Amino acid sequence: MEADDQVSTVLSGRDAYRAELAELARHDPRLLCFEADLGGRKHPFAQEHPDRFFNLGIAEATMIDMAAALASAGYRPFVSTFAPFATLRAAESMKLSMGYMGAGVVVVAPYSGVSGAWFGTTHHCLEDLAVVQSFPGITIAAPHGEAETRAVIRAAAAGSGPVYVRTGRSAAAVSLPLDGEPPLVNWASSGSSDVCLVSVGEVGTELALEACARRPDLGHAHLCFVDHASLTAVASELRRSRYSRFVVVEEHRPAGGVASTLALLVPEVAVVGVNAGMTWPSEGGDHGEVLSGLGLDLAHVLAAV
Amino acid sequence: MTRVGTSVEVLREQAVRARRLVVDMAAQPTGCHLGGSLSVVDILVAAFDRAAEDDGTEVVLSKGHAAAALYAALHVSGRLAENPAPLYGLAGHHYTGHPSPAVPGVRFPTGSLGHGVPYAVGWALARRLSGGTGLGIAVTGDGELQEGLVWEACQVAAAQRLANLVVVVDRNGGQNDGLVADISPLPDLGARFAAFGFDVSEVDGHDIGAVRALLDGVGSRPHAVIAHTVKGKGVPPVEGKAGAHYVTIDAARAAKWKRMIR
Repeated sequence: MEADDQVSTVLSGRDAYRAELAELARHDPRLLCFEADLGGRKHPFAQEHPDRFFNLGIAEATMIDMAAALASAGYRPFVSTFAPFATLRAAESMKLSMGYMGAGVVVVAPYSGVSGAWFGTTHHCLEDLAVVQSFPGITIAAPHGEAETRAVIRAAAAGSGPVYVRTGRSAAAVSLPLDGEPPLVNWASSGSSDVCLVSVGEVGTELALEACARRPDLGHAHLCFVDHASLTAVASELRRSRYSRFVVVEEHRPAGGVASTLALLVPEVAVVGVNAGMTWPSEGGDHGEVLSGLGLDLAHVLAAV
Repeated sequence: MTRVGTSVEVLREQAVRARRLVVDMAAQPTGCHLGGSLSVVDILVAAFDRAAEDDGTEVVLSKGHAAAALYAALHVSGRLAENPAPLYGLAGHHYTGHPSPAVPGVRFPTGSLGHGVPYAVGWALARRLSGGTGLGIAVTGDGELQEGLVWEACQVAAAQRLANLVVVVDRNGGQNDGLVADISPLPDLGARFAAFGFDVSEVDGHDIGAVRALLDGVGSRPHAVIAHTVKGKGVPPVEGKAGAHYVTIDAARAAKWKRMIR
């Protein structure tokens, strides 16, 4: 083996999902994989388990309703489409199937936030946490990096309830140290001040790590599970900490995001947010450029602490 | 697979009982979607008889506003023990105006139109994947066919070659605001399903034996059964009347109407 071959490549969130699910399916015949024409031509699950892979075509709501039936029949279906299509076009299917019915469907949604960048407004999704968080019973995971994404997928595959997993597009990140399933609160650094960054998702966590590198006095609590029930438990843990000010960094709108929920759950301390704001991003550029245009960058994080 | 099915006479008797229960529900304080419930009763009685073969067949009432008919059919077919009629619409009971999985025999919440079809498509796929027999049966309204999701699901069903899917259309010609023909007509409905890759049958939706027979076999393609029905069927004062879509009556009128049901 050449030396270069030994350099491991970190997978993006969506590629980590595909790889992990394909591996898990070797030993779990209940696992099914559905795509709505956005799974790519070389989906590892399709290559390894073609009898359990279904590209249903561009039919997102149908895909989730169908998956509910398959879950009823004892399968564990994973469905994937871009976040805006999963949570907005198929929002009612998520509400009825996964929320109200409690069907054991796992939705994995790349292109959350503005990771679609130059693809434009239709491909952005700064509303998914608000939408899905309002459906009781659905676990929401916003993993950061390959290892955490794989851990979320493993936990989802082993579980039975409905799960929504948001990832970015192609950016790859190295997860925070992780031992098994992501904890409720991953205390990444403690700092010395009474200010703690609370990071959510790929962008939020990368920005928090950068901010802590500049300001080692800042604490950093990383959250992976951000549904209302999880945040209620997170709030208890944050309340027991020594911090008096939490700065939530998330690639989402302020309305319905993690900061807004935590502010209600922990009213006795200051909770502020650095987020994507309430405008409509409509210009081109790469992911970082679109984020900067929205005020979701290191400068704004440092200004908020 | 052959089975000694319930006789058509027994199914007709079940339908009579179910219709009387539906009228009872119209006499609850809430009233009910009477016209579309009475039109779909025979279809549901036949479908639940098909499901009684216990081969994994699942029936989804996609036109969930006919919940009164669903509860009644579940009861007369023995799938729901308690009589739902006196409890319909009442606080503390799950017999809401659109059905939820809280009711025994109901798997999927319908009422927002269109969703029951893809659920049945998924059920058909599940049966095929597991190597089992059994159908996914979706019962839709003709007004419901205005929802894009129905056709999205039909497209997927045909592409996946789900020969164990049956979509039964309760073609009663009415919808909330009037007649389907006036609001958004469906000419050549059979040809539409055929163009999607379905086998198509047309049947008198009140001929229980004929409807039941169409649910027996599995062909080579998904199957659309266009069941021609009459809104308000069985209760002459409301038969064929668009205004019968949602009805609230008093107990005396309910008793009179129930006597008319034969």
